Amino acid sequence: MKQRALSAIAVITALASAGCGSAADPGSDSGGSGDKLVVWDWKSGDEAAASYIERAKADFAERHPDVEVEFVAQPFDQYYNLLGTAIQSGEGPDVMMFNGGGQLRDRVDALLPLDDYVADDRERLAGWEAFSQDGHVYAAPVTLQGHPIYYNKALYEQAGLDPEAPATTWDDLADDCEAITDATGAACFAQGNKEGYGIQFWLSGLGSGVLTDAEYEAWIAGERDWTSPNVRRVFELWQEAGETGLFNDGANSTAMFNDMFAVFESGEAAHVIGLMSDVGHWKEFNEFLGAENVGVMPAPVVNPESAPSLPYDGGIGYGVAEWTDDPELAADLVRSLTSSGALEAFYADAGAIASDTTIDASDAGPAASAIVAQIPDGEPALHVALSSETLELLGRLSQQLLSGSITVDDALGQLAENDQAD
Amino acid sequence: MSRARIARWLIVIPMAALALATVYPLVFTANVASKTRHEYVLDRFSAAESLRWDNFEAAWSSAGMARYFLNSVVVVAAAVALLLLVGSMAGFALSQLRFRGSRALFLGCLAALFIPFQVIMVPLARTMGQTGLIDTYPGLVLAYTAQFLPFTVFLMTSYYTGIPAEIIDAARIDGNSVYGVYRRIMLPLGRPALLSVGILNALFCWNDVLIALLVMPSAEHRTLMVGVTSLRGQYSADIPTFAAGVLIAALPVLLLYLFFQRQITAGVTVGSTKG
Amino acid sequence: MPIGSPPSSVRTATVGRPEGRGDAQAPKARKLRGSRRPLADRLAPYVLVAPAVLIIAGLRLYPLALGVNFSFTGDGDRNGQAVGFDNYATLFDDPLFRQALQNVGLLVLLLPVAVAIPGALATFIYLRVPGHRLYRSVYFFPAVLSPVIVGAIFNLLLAYDGTANTVLGLVGLGPVDWLGDPDVAMVTVVGVHVWATFGMALVVFLAGFATLDASLIDAARIDGASLPQVIRHVIVPGLSRTIQFVFVTTMIGLLTSMFGLLYVMTGGGPEGSTYLPEYYIWVQAGQMNRPALASAASTVLFGIMLVVGLLQAAVLRRSGRED
Repeated sequence: MKQRALSAIAVITALASAGCGSAADPGSDSGGSGDKLVVWDWKSGDEAAASYIERAKADFAERHPDVEVEFVAQPFDQYYNLLGTAIQSGEGPDVMMFNGGGQLRDRVDALLPLDDYVADDRERLAGWEAFSQDGHVYAAPVTLQGHPIYYNKALYEQAGLDPEAPATTWDDLADDCEAITDATGAACFAQGNKEGYGIQFWLSGLGSGVLTDAEYEAWIAGERDWTSPNVRRVFELWQEAGETGLFNDGANSTAMFNDMFAVFESGEAAHVIGLMSDVGHWKEFNEFLGAENVGVMPAPVVNPESAPSLPYDGGIGYGVAEWTDDPELAADLVRSLTSSGALEAFYADAGAIASDTTIDASDAGPAASAIVAQIPDGEPALHVALSSETLELLGRLSQQLLSGSITVDDALGQLAENDQAD
Repeated sequence: MSRARIARWLIVIPMAALALATVYPLVFTANVASKTRHEYVLDRFSAAESLRWDNFEAAWSSAGMARYFLNSVVVVAAAVALLLLVGSMAGFALSQLRFRGSRALFLGCLAALFIPFQVIMVPLARTMGQTGLIDTYPGLVLAYTAQFLPFTVFLMTSYYTGIPAEIIDAARIDGNSVYGVYRRIMLPLGRPALLSVGILNALFCWNDVLIALLVMPSAEHRTLMVGVTSLRGQYSADIPTFAAGVLIAALPVLLLYLFFQRQITAGVTVGSTKG
Repeated sequence: MPIGSPPSSVRTATVGRPEGRGDAQAPKARKLRGSRRPLADRLAPYVLVAPAVLIIAGLRLYPLALGVNFSFTGDGDRNGQAVGFDNYATLFDDPLFRQALQNVGLLVLLLPVAVAIPGALATFIYLRVPGHRLYRSVYFFPAVLSPVIVGAIFNLLLAYDGTANTVLGLVGLGPVDWLGDPDVAMVTVVGVHVWATFGMALVVFLAGFATLDASLIDAARIDGASLPQVIRHVIVPGLSRTIQFVFVTTMIGLLTSMFGLLYVMTGGGPEGSTYLPEYYIWVQAGQMNRPALASAASTVLFGIMLVVGLLQAAVLRRSGRED
């Protein structure tokens, strides 16, 4: 994958060598001085995360009573732009939150390798791969994020289907959906692809039922054959689902965050490829549909040679800026933010599947239990392996596939070219 | 019905519909803000059962809005004061005094008007970082001043050009220095323009999100509009609270508008019509 | 900035202001009394403009120059190296940027509509259609709201199952995917922008009408001229200056202040159909982590703005001579 990240120093060198002559002293403008650490994230302002932050702060204060920690909750929409500007201007936080995958990997140049600091946590926490690049760890996972397929048991019952025995193959699922739509008017899948995220969930949610194990592994390892028949099949399914009305109307103008999940929560769709943590997840669905009505099913088998598994990765994690004054101190804060006590609070109050495998999640309802049970056999999600540039293109092409202005072959051709250019 | 009457209805009906369309979105937002999250998810468009203040309270209290509100007031007031001072000084000089380079300066000011903020966003953040202005109140005040100054200078120049030379000459004969003329003549005479330009600038600064986000990254330095925008991120599933925050943020500007309605419309007209 | 001002060195004067003089040519420059002015007097103008010059030069022109300089260096692996015009080549090779430029063209085409709407409304209000007083204050209302708020509200109203489609359904028209159909979305966003800003243009027009000689219109009507004829032969010529001013301000608004709406309403989608250069810059600088490419796009956008500005200035100067 191409490294496009820039460090603050590199930018300054760039300008200097271009004859601009503006001299800034690199490294001197970190956001916090020695006895203060600044953390950027988009979680700490959330009321549901208050107890988590509290516990983490307390844990940190025990070891470093003199150090002040400031949490700055940024609006998620603007988060990576602000971070990018901060990196470029050499003004930034000491510790920052990242989504696992491309967003982190694109910016590892601005991050400190944490391998030496977090060695003791490697066993206890899961989800490290999404925060690693070239054999180094750049952030410690807080939550696990993945894409289970949720279904509405009440709609299954209304359509005369057995809610405890959802379809295991794609063809059966299509039949069930027809029955549900006939009986209740609900769509098969809630779909929101306004931001181009819908296709990412589709690819990861259904991929394990289409690709063979070997293909799956190769994909994650970076050897992606976009033109293989099975990859093709995932995109054909996407287009077919749009054409045959398996999605709610206006998928391309439905925002995933809020609107797509609202479609599922209000019973207007029978299935949704959702999330494990934060939003659009079991806790939210339990709240709206009742815990007894929320089911989780494995990816339906499209290709008999595939072995469905739960796609998940490290969800969000905290990393340390390369320019921080006291790396050890900042890394210690990251360790506090991923301590068992803090993560337990996060799981209980915010409804996230925490990265800490020692936490017991059995009292959170059948859906959460089903997800946790699938974690040991889970695999990294397919879309997380892609670069942000490829994901952006994927989003745009997926919209074109739904509106019928491009063929699957064209789309895959462009994706292959873009992916290989990285 | 006569043709003229039909034509009349053809005009009146769309105009009334448009009036409705300017008011409806706010009514709609108020309606959403009165719902619980549950009601909203299940049906976004139905009327709320009753006017409810819970979401307003939640938006105001949980996210530190009181602090943000104060930040906005301080920053906007300072920026507007600085804009008016600097803008009127430059406007006076460019319109009434002859000096070498005045035309070039005026054109430079006009060119600055054509720079969209996104164009200078990254280098500006860098410049402010180097000068230690980032994350300070003076930094944001200066950033706002820089953003809206070309507009202000232009309008003030345009306005002061209309003031007759005789008034200034008379003041000079009375023994006033150039600065005296500015302070005793131009400032008082400029009142209508200063008031209306000031209100417009206050609207722009109050509603800004992007500049404030870039220049004031710390949580405790947030402005109200930034706070409201981040309500969306924090409660990504809680649109009613966001809607309540939106209304809270819009309320001061709506009041300002209603209060100074006449000055605002007068301000927009400065420099526009035939002289 | 929601509204701008005319990019013309031609002075556009004032109306209805105290002591307004009709014959002033601008920028008015005169010598203060006395042929040999003391040094303090000669320095005074510079002292007065200094703060404005320092602020504009330091926080607008200097960053602009930095950005232009930066656009000739590389991103990623080539970070810091001088790459000549490579970024510009990449830019014009990128279908998204070409789409963004194409949309700028669309905005220019839609400009007359964005000017005609407030113009027509002002005409009717001036002619005192029933309710004109109410319209006068209500129409300015949206101009007070921030683009973020306007965008968030319209996201809901224009959703596939939103109010707009409900209303269409009542009169038997099919639902339109306002923000999901690539052929429609850009026009939708421009429509919302016009909704949010037409109040500003409206009051400018109304102020212009205040300078019109009402007896001319009465005379034309007594002569039996129809409304379209009155508009064409009396109102439009009488308001030529105002119309030009609105053209310029609307143009600046369309090209520089659509970002907030795009950001909240479409994020450049669907299918990249609503990209504008300013949004492209934001995405490349942040999400895509390619600040040098973003700088190149910034330079191009500023170039476009400058060309548009110069064209407008030329038009204004020509019409200024006609006056």
